Amino acid sequence: METPASETNEAVSRPLELVAMMAADFASSRDLETTLYRAVARITRHLNAASGAVFMLDETGEELRCDACSGTPDITGLVLGAQEGIVGRCVQDRRGEIVHNVSEDPGFYPGVDEQTGFTTRSILCAPLTVRDQCLGAIELVNKLSDDGRFSEGDLYLLQGLSSSAALAIVNARQSEALLKQERVNRELELAAEIQRSLLPHARPEPFPIHGLNLPAGLVSGDFYDFFVLDDGRICFTLGDVSGKGINAALLMAKTASLYRALGKTIHEPGRLLAVINNEICETATRGMFVTMVGGVLDPRTSCIRLANAGHEPPLYQDGRGSFRALEAQAPPLGILHLDLVQDAIPEQRFALEEGSLFLFSDGVTEGRLENGSALGAEGIKKLLVENAGLPPADRLNAIVARLRRADRPLRDDVTLLVVRGRERIGETIGEGLLRLNFPSRPDELRKVRWAVSKALAGVDCAEDEVHDVILAIGEACQNIIRHAYHEDPHGEIVLELRYDGDRIIALLRDFAATVNPSEIKGRELEQLQPGGLGVHLINEVMDETAFLPPPGNSGNLLRMIKRVGRKAS
Amino acid sequence: MRHEIRESEGALVVSFEGDVDLDTSPAARKVLLDCVRRKRSVLVDMSRVSYIDSSGVASLVESFQSARNAGLLFGLVAVSETALRVLKLARLDLVFPIHATLEDGLAQISG
Repeated sequence: METPASETNEAVSRPLELVAMMAADFASSRDLETTLYRAVARITRHLNAASGAVFMLDETGEELRCDACSGTPDITGLVLGAQEGIVGRCVQDRRGEIVHNVSEDPGFYPGVDEQTGFTTRSILCAPLTVRDQCLGAIELVNKLSDDGRFSEGDLYLLQGLSSSAALAIVNARQSEALLKQERVNRELELAAEIQRSLLPHARPEPFPIHGLNLPAGLVSGDFYDFFVLDDGRICFTLGDVSGKGINAALLMAKTASLYRALGKTIHEPGRLLAVINNEICETATRGMFVTMVGGVLDPRTSCIRLANAGHEPPLYQDGRGSFRALEAQAPPLGILHLDLVQDAIPEQRFALEEGSLFLFSDGVTEGRLENGSALGAEGIKKLLVENAGLPPADRLNAIVARLRRADRPLRDDVTLLVVRGRERIGETIGEGLLRLNFPSRPDELRKVRWAVSKALAGVDCAEDEVHDVILAIGEACQNIIRHAYHEDPHGEIVLELRYDGDRIIALLRDFAATVNPSEIKGRELEQLQPGGLGVHLINEVMDETAFLPPPGNSGNLLRMIKRVGRKAS
Repeated sequence: MRHEIRESEGALVVSFEGDVDLDTSPAARKVLLDCVRRKRSVLVDMSRVSYIDSSGVASLVESFQSARNAGLLFGLVAVSETALRVLKLARLDLVFPIHATLEDGLAQISG
């Protein structure tokens, strides 16, 4: 039994109207399947066939599946081999055809009729092609006209309709993919935001650690962190998860969280990394691993403890500018479970003194310069030397500036961390006698005077001269506390004493707002206002007093020099 | 810094011991101004002042001015070498009446 696809035989002579209606359907619909149904129903009706079906190739190109059909039987979901039947031939040859009598065509696949009890006599078939791509085909079965024959005109029209349907299908698929991509992007952006929140807040000078992370994509497989322990030491780390993308970012989040949580109680970097290693090993990470450097800095002594698990060797630049690479002494984390008693990750311990330690991910060493070559450890050294005069955080920015270019995305996440040792507060005349960091509190001054007198005990000079230097330092500290920090007890003062054989050099560094030296002058003694007398005393007892440009252009640096004679004289 | 106040021949004798610096000078200032408020002549025994800075000197100057305005005598006695050096540097050694010993100071007041 054959039934027409619709009761009315709409005139085939209105193909343009048909095309227009189909285009409107595709344009207005978000549901491709429904639209295909309507399209195949219209086409079947217009071409006066018993039934019609849209077959689509699957992603592998091996199967044809009926995604929509019109008339009976309903064969939606029917799957054929990509080369089976006349529809298969049409797809393979990318050519439409008319088969007037399927029983005479060896290509005809009778399996469908056998399954459905339908009798196929004639077939009109056209491929769904867009440019070089074939998506499938439309097949009409059994012409319902008196002679039961599809005409050349029918084929011509079907081919035209197929082309516009194919284009519409591609568009619909693309916009569907775009919507999906947008959803994924929104989720990625959220993930990136969470990930950024895992990085520590930047802290201004004189805080000795500064970091920088620039993801190549939205999310990063690199991380860094630092936090201050209760005893004043600072725990820091930089790590790199193998691989890129969201899976690396998730493992990064896990590792960074472990470091922060465990690092507050485990203060030995070697053991800390070993414990983190075992935590990562306990859960499957699909072959991903983490290279990581962890350390603890005591900012008072500049002493550092460092453990390196498979990471790019950090560079230590000493106060004179020489570099030393600190090679990894253990494999990356997350590969082998460690026996925490026997297999602690080795630590390196040394004092940074006036040097700095630079940690970076392979995105930095493998980053490309303008000429296309990799930056490499040598390139990093060169940039550090070129920018030696900049504050630590700016030295990191100078490296990134060379890798980050507007016209080309980063190849890999770029992450850098600098750990500064003792701040170099002035030029290095003579030998250092004392270096002291203390808060801007009046009750600290007694200790400072005591430390200065101890430090000057070995200097060959008269007792009065020592007293003069102590007086000048006391007055200068007093001015810093009162006029630079405005009596805020939380400011930091750094004192350095040097001696070159006939001069005592006192350098005083603060981190308050920069003062204008021209406003600081000894006032008339009659006024005896705070500050004025102090400056007068300093000028009386010291030979030279000058404000120098402070390192990093923040705060103030006062240098006072006193020529001292022989004790005997 | 520690201090001690005693009466001697009608005057108040204030002895400071230790460092008079930014940390301790507010206390020294209060002690001295309280003495002046008692309308008594004041002698400051500075023999055991191991260190004095500009803030300590300023406390002395303020108390001295306050005493003078009230018509009272205010003098320094037995000033330690360290403190005297600072007073000289500040060119205040000629402003304050400075007596070599407490006895000299008391003689000046009663005389």
